[in-house]
Formats: sequence, structure tokens, C-alpha cells
Amino acid sequence: MSETFRQTAPKSLGVVPFNVPNPFKSKLENGLKIIFIEDKRHPIISIRLAFRSGDINDPADRVGLNSAMAEMLSEGTENYSSKACAEEIERLGAHLSASAGSDNTIVKASALSMYTSEIFDLLVEMVLRPTFPASELDLYKQNTIEGLKFQRSQPDFLADEQTARIIYGGHPYSVHSPGAEDISKITRDDIAEFHKKTFIPNNATIVVVGDFESESLLKQIDASFSDWKADEILQAPINPLPSRNRRSLTIVDRPGSTQANIILANLALKRNHPDYFSVLVMNQILGAGASSRLFMNLREEKGYTYGAYSRIYSKRHAGSFEATAEVRTAVTDESLQEFFSELNRIRDEKASDEELTDAKNYLTGVFPIRAETQGGLTGLIVAQELYDLPENYLETYRDRVREVTLDDIQKAANKYIEPEKLAIVIVGDAGEVISQASKYAESLEIFDTEGHPKKIDDYKPDDKLETAQVAGEWELGVEAMGQKLPVTLILTQNGDSVSGKLESMIGEGEIANGIVAGNNFSAVAKTKFQGQDTELGIKGKIEGDSMTGTMSNSMIPMPMEFSGNRK
Amino acid sequence: MTETLNLKDLELEEYTLENGLRVVLNPDDSIPVVSIAVYYDVGSRNEREGRTGFAHLFEHMMFQGSENVPKAGHFQHVMKAGGTMNGTTSSERTNYYETLPADQLPLGLWLESDRMRSLAVTQENLDNQREAVKEEKRLRYDNQPYGQIFDILSTMVYKNFSNAHSTIGSMAHLDDATVEDVQEFFRVYYAPNNAVLVLSGAFEIATAKSLIDKYFSTIPSQPKPLAIDVSEPEEVAERYRNYEDKLAPLPAFLMGWKIPSRRTGEFNALYLAGKLLYSGDSSRLYQKLVKGEESVTQLFGFTDERRGPSGIMIGAIPKPERNLEKLRETIVAEIKDLATNGPSEEEMTKLRNQLINGEVQSRQSSLSRAQGIAEYALYDGNPSLINSEIDEFLEITGEQIRAVADKYLNTDNRALLDIIPPAQK
Repeated sequence: MSETFRQTAPKSLGVVPFNVPNPFKSKLENGLKIIFIEDKRHPIISIRLAFRSGDINDPADRVGLNSAMAEMLSEGTENYSSKACAEEIERLGAHLSASAGSDNTIVKASALSMYTSEIFDLLVEMVLRPTFPASELDLYKQNTIEGLKFQRSQPDFLADEQTARIIYGGHPYSVHSPGAEDISKITRDDIAEFHKKTFIPNNATIVVVGDFESESLLKQIDASFSDWKADEILQAPINPLPSRNRRSLTIVDRPGSTQANIILANLALKRNHPDYFSVLVMNQILGAGASSRLFMNLREEKGYTYGAYSRIYSKRHAGSFEATAEVRTAVTDESLQEFFSELNRIRDEKASDEELTDAKNYLTGVFPIRAETQGGLTGLIVAQELYDLPENYLETYRDRVREVTLDDIQKAANKYIEPEKLAIVIVGDAGEVISQASKYAESLEIFDTEGHPKKIDDYKPDDKLETAQVAGEWELGVEAMGQKLPVTLILTQNGDSVSGKLESMIGEGEIANGIVAGNNFSAVAKTKFQGQDTELGIKGKIEGDSMTGTMSNSMIPMPMEFSGNRK
Repeated sequence: MTETLNLKDLELEEYTLENGLRVVLNPDDSIPVVSIAVYYDVGSRNEREGRTGFAHLFEHMMFQGSENVPKAGHFQHVMKAGGTMNGTTSSERTNYYETLPADQLPLGLWLESDRMRSLAVTQENLDNQREAVKEEKRLRYDNQPYGQIFDILSTMVYKNFSNAHSTIGSMAHLDDATVEDVQEFFRVYYAPNNAVLVLSGAFEIATAKSLIDKYFSTIPSQPKPLAIDVSEPEEVAERYRNYEDKLAPLPAFLMGWKIPSRRTGEFNALYLAGKLLYSGDSSRLYQKLVKGEESVTQLFGFTDERRGPSGIMIGAIPKPERNLEKLRETIVAEIKDLATNGPSEEEMTKLRNQLINGEVQSRQSSLSRAQGIAEYALYDGNPSLINSEIDEFLEITGEQIRAVADKYLNTDNRALLDIIPPAQK
């Protein structure tokens, strides 16, 4: 039943062009920008009123103020109680809500076209005439504080919180979420004043996409917003970003965890940086998707995790690179080894032509899919506006992706991924994680799930066991490809840290940052294999003068077992 | 506010290949993309005791390569063509879908047909995907607070094994699975006569038909899988259980009721009753428990929609030191009010507008159209329900909602699960 036509992937039917719809743009005298796209395909509309102020505008002693303000907009206005507001929106079958982000605050609405005028009036009511009732604020504070307890039970929240704190230092982006004590400080007056300062027309853009009549909506916008007074734009306190000079390890001890949530992070670039497209394509090759290197290695080949990815988070003033996976605790060590191997590979070696073509095809191909829904299209327009992207950004997006070269990618990787200075953050059972991960970093700190620092000594595993002595020369036999290869370890020990070297027939290696915990020894040997720099992970158990364990390397599918004795 | 809106029908063309594959085409060229949905009539409901988790494990195997597509080649082919794809498993079905630039329709059909006819079920793939599934279980269920409570409640609501066990299944059963078991599962359930194929988006009907014929018509059909029995007694399987959740920060509870199958008047009316109770900030329970008595931080509810007996679940995470019993009395009292007085006029207007709005929103994307059509084609043998089912919902009266709330929810025949955080040290 051989059907030869099945043997190769079929060819394209011929590319169908996709043109980004042309928006109508206008501006009120008070500075409010207006962007319209009429799209009659479906009898619905989407509205976004986007303000270029966000959580970074929170005063230093009022963290959480912007998000409280945004949440409170629908909890009572001059003409509607909180309940009446919810009922009115939902009676239209519509959605209307405000959301706070680091750089921006966006009021979003969507409704059937026949209710365009009604939903717009409700949006105006929320934006211009909120009253922030005290009883509703009390409830918001209570619920947010309780909600935080739930957040703190989730490993990804804890990992993101530590990552932001470490890589952004004193910059306002370092605040992942306000704490309970921040929330309780917020008063009604704080919110009202902050609303007055940030909800100003000259800092806002209204975007409308869908089935509506531009002329009549323009009239309604003018009638509702022309008395809205422009004001001075509130500047955010942009403190300098910290510089890093070494790899650090931060563990959040979450007892009972069955996985280790790993994030490796460093600062990268802001959203409108000229290198953005090089980084975007580089990241597509490295870890953005299910056919990227990290996923193919850690999930498909090794089965360590359900998914391993890398991300570029680019905000208005700065951004980060993060590689992440949730792995089963027992393979934390092996997973870190694979991560570093992939991060180094994309810096040290040029990607292939095929990888480049695939990444570009993906990024250019999925672009129109995002424009299928009104929500997707408004999102693209709002991002262009809020991140100061060029006028022709959407039209030229696919060309900018196509221009990226293999050189650009390697340069971007070397500039924006810094394996030797990464912050390693791991949420998991600290007792299990610490012995596997500490050798990868030059510093270690441990927190509990409340964010309080813990004493590292409390987490030394098997602290009833005396720390074994591994100093000396070990002659080991390693099971490799059906043979026993002789390998010698020459180790020196200082407390629980170990350094030394590895000698074998196929090369030598340096051991730094080794660690002994009880009678468990673990280390990474930096070595050369067939001319390439690589890392060999060593895990051993010491019984007097004998040691058994495994050695592993990213190029070898299974760890190699070894055993031997001290000379 | 009584304005009505007549939605334009989606254009549909429906036919069946000789091997039994049911095909539905929904051409719409407004954006140059096309979505392909392949739905197989196999879900956790088809699993036997001692063999749970197979349907979901199999979903993973479908990305492991076939005669002409290497392992993980499916991801790569789709992504390098500029598309997106995934697969999911529920109690009712296993689905696979991709959205591609319109010119890549042949690629999508080639990929779907190659794995339907010649999946590579090898020991290595099986071992590797078992590990991925175990990680998925740790990530989504074991390592999340409240991660396992819905699966526990299902075992309390449903008595029939087919309905009661979880989709993720037992890891011990997966460990027992042999390559032969998995090959047999593929032969029985992944046959063209046990699937539907739906295309939605920018394509020429004639081109699509000839491509579908080329790629799918020579895949042999298989004997029909054994019929399954999903019937349930009226009573829930277990009325009360408490469960210690080691990761839960606060106590919580979950209640479940057994209701009739989807596509019945009673199910539809109960779906609307549920929306009035728990859906949105103006819903009755949100206003009572989150706003009024200010006692819960999280409230959630949903219908567990199935082809057989289905469920309604309502749960809450109360603030500390609240009397959970009192909260449940509030929920029961609100159900009783709905069962006695029925919905208000405003509530009926709200439901009507929400139904229409939801319907239009879901028609925007080619993928969501393809998925909706595929469900009606697979479950009901009638894809045109995508155009007409909404009318059935819009015709439901307040009195019908009151009556089903009384019959199915206003009763002690319900399951209650108390979730208890670990004892404070």
C-alpha cells in the first residue's frame, strides 16, 4: 500500500497575501488619541481605552495603588453602585473591565454592535466618574489579601516574584505583586488622587475595532470626552537597573513540592529596542515553542518535564530573558546541566540555515492568525501605541522578521543571554534541591513561601550525618559503551566544598563548586570532548574509601555508572 | 433592549468518505488562514478498569511520528509553516487541530492523514511519553493547591466507572501499558469511521475535497468499537468526603449534582440556571457570597457537559475562620429561591444577550468554528446545530429554568467534598 506521494511534505498552494487593515486616526484637542478600524465581519465591537501609566507609577510608599485603582473603577460610580454596574454590563451580554500592568492600564470593553452606544457610556462612567466607595475598598483589600495567600501557594507565582526582585533590584519592575502590608495601607484618598493624576486624556488612546459607524462614534467620543482636562503627565521613578557579575542561586522552600520550578534569568532589552527582532528570532530557535531546542531536549529527548521554554519579556523601559521549566525534583541537576548546555550552544555556535528559515516562517505565518479576532487585532494596535513602536510597525513586522540573519542571532544570544551571570531561581523542596543545584552558582539564598529569608544551615541535608571526607585521589571505573573506562578524580575539600580535577583517557577537566552533603558528593567537571567544551555532571556516594555513582553529559542519553576506591 | 439579532448561518458542506470518515467544510475567506480539526470518538469514557489514562496517553503518542513524519515532526512541520496546533483529551473525545496559513492546507491534511493511517507506536516513544504524562500530572494536579479536587468530586457524583474516573488516569495503569495494548487502542479507536474531519477558513471547496480524497480515502476502516454504557442511577455515588490537600492554604469545598445529558431541554435549562447562579459579577452567588456576606475569596461553578449523564459543580474558597456550613446553606437557599420563584425578567434579558454575544464571539476564529462544528458532527451527527442550537437555548423560558432547578439542584441528592489544608504546625 505504498503511496509515494505521502513520502514528502506537500507544497504550498501559493501564498495568499494578508494586508493589515488601515486604521483611521484622529485626536481630540485635549490630547486623547483615537484609532478606529471598521470591520463588518461580525456584529460586535471591541474597545480599549489605554493609559500610558501603570504599576511603575505607584509611589514608593503605596505599592499596589495602580492595580487597586483599576480594580475599583467598576465598584461604584456617580450613577451606578457596584452591583448596578455589574448588572448593567451583563444585561447587555457585554464585558467591561480594567486591568493594570507594569507600564499601562487598560479599560477593555466588548459587546454586540447594537449595544455600542450603551457600552461606551458605561465605559465613560467608569473612567470619568468612579467614586471609590469606602466599603467597596475595604472588601477589595480583604479579598486581595486573601487572594495573595492563594497566590503564595502557587509555585509559579513564587518563582516570578523572586526573579523580578533579583534581576530588577531597585527598579520599579522588581515588584511582582504588592504584599498584604502594602494593600492595607491604601486609602480612598490615595486612589482618588492617583486616578486624577493618571487618568488624563493626553496620556491615553482609545482603540475601537469592529462593526460600528465611525462618524457617530466619533461624535459620541467628542461629546463624552471633550471636557476631560489635559494635565501634566506623572513620571515614574525609574531607578537604575542593577548590574550582575556572577551566577546566583535563590531557592524558595515549598515543602511537599513534587517538582522544581526553575527560572534562569538575566536582564535583556526594552520593547522598542532595535535588536528586538534579532532577539525574537533567536528566542524562537532556542525556546519559544514546542519545536524549539529547549523543548526538544528537556521534554522530547530527556522526558524531564512537561515543557521547557525561554521567553523575552520586554517592557517599556527594560526587559528580561528567562528560561524556564518545571521538572521532577530528582532531575533538577540534570535539567540545569541541559539548560546551560543549550544556552551556551546558541551563543557559541551559529544556528543552522534551516532553523533560521523555520523560525522566520513561524513568526511571519502566525501573525495573521492573531488578527482573526477583534481581541487579537486590538491587542496588536494597543501594543504598537503603548510601546512607542513605529507608525508602520504592523505593516513591516513580517519584513523585519525576514531581515534577521544568522550573525544577528548569534550576536543577540551573546549580548542578551549571560550564562555566567544568570540568576537561578528554583521553587521546590529545598532539602532536595539544594544538593543538586548549589554547585551551579557562586552564591545561595533561601526563602520561605512568605518571602522571608531562611538560614542556609537549616537546609543542609542529612545534617545528622557527618560530612564525608572526599579529599584524595580516586581511581574509578566508568561504564561506557560496554567498557569500563578508567577515570581519576583528584579532589581537595574545604568544609563541604570541593574542587579539583578529573583525568581520563579522553581528556581532562576542572572541578569547581563541588559539594559534599552527608555522604553524598556532587560536582560538575568542565571538560573538553571531541574538541568541544562540555560539562560532566558527577554524583557519588561515599562509603569510607569507596565511591559509587553516576556521570552524565548532555551528549550521552543515559547517565554512566561508576565505582572505585581512594588510593 | 429587546432588539433582536438574526445571525447569519455559517456555510456548511457535509459528506462521508467511503471508509466512513465524516467531513464538514466551512469556507470563510475573510482572513487567509485555515483551521483543521480532527475529532476521534474516544475519551476517558471508553477506558476500562485497570486501563485508565490511555486516551490521554494516546494523545501524546499522536505527536511521536508516523510512517512519513519523524518523531516530533508534527510540531515542526506545523510551526515551520507558520501554524499553531495542539491536541486535548476529555471524557468525551480526543481532538487534534491546527491553524495554518491558507496556502498550507495540503500540509495539514498530509500530517493528519499520515498519523491516522500509520502511527509509530514503539517502545521508545511509549516510554518517553509516559514520562511526559507523569510530569504533566505533577504539574497540573499533584503540585497545585486544589489540583485534584475536581477529579475527586467526579468519583463522588458519578457511579458508573466510565464517567467517574479521571482523564489523566492512574500512573500505575500507564506503567502497565504494553506496546501491544497501545497498538490495539490505535487500531480500534483511531479509524476513519470513528472520526470527523472539519475544515474552516479560507479554501476552495473543490480543492479541499480533492485533497481530502487524496490523503484520507485509502485509509482502511475498522470494525466499530464496542458500544459503551454510560448510564447512571439517579443517586450520586457518595454524598460526603473530606480530603486533606497538602498544598492548600485555606479550607474549601466543592458541591456536585447529577443532571441529564447535553442536548436535552433539561440540560440546556440547567446550563442557564448555572449561569444565573455563578457566572459573572452580577450572578446571584457572586453578589451574595463575594459582595454581600463578604465571606468567600473565590467562587466557581461550571457544567460538566457530557453525552451521557452530566454534572453541575459549585465550589468556593472561603476567607479564614468562616463557617463553611453556613456558606453552603446560603448556596442551598439561593438554589431554593431560584427553584421557587424562578429568574427575574432582567435575568432572562441578560441570559439572552449573553448567549448571542457568546455565539458571535466564538465565530470569529476559524479554529473555534471548526471545533464547534466537529463536536456537533461527532456527538450528534448533525453539524448544522452550530447554526440552530442557539435558538433552542433562546426559547427556554424562566419557568423551565425554575422547574429544572427544583428537580435537579434543590435536593439532598448531591455530593459534598470538604478540602482541608494540612494541620498547622
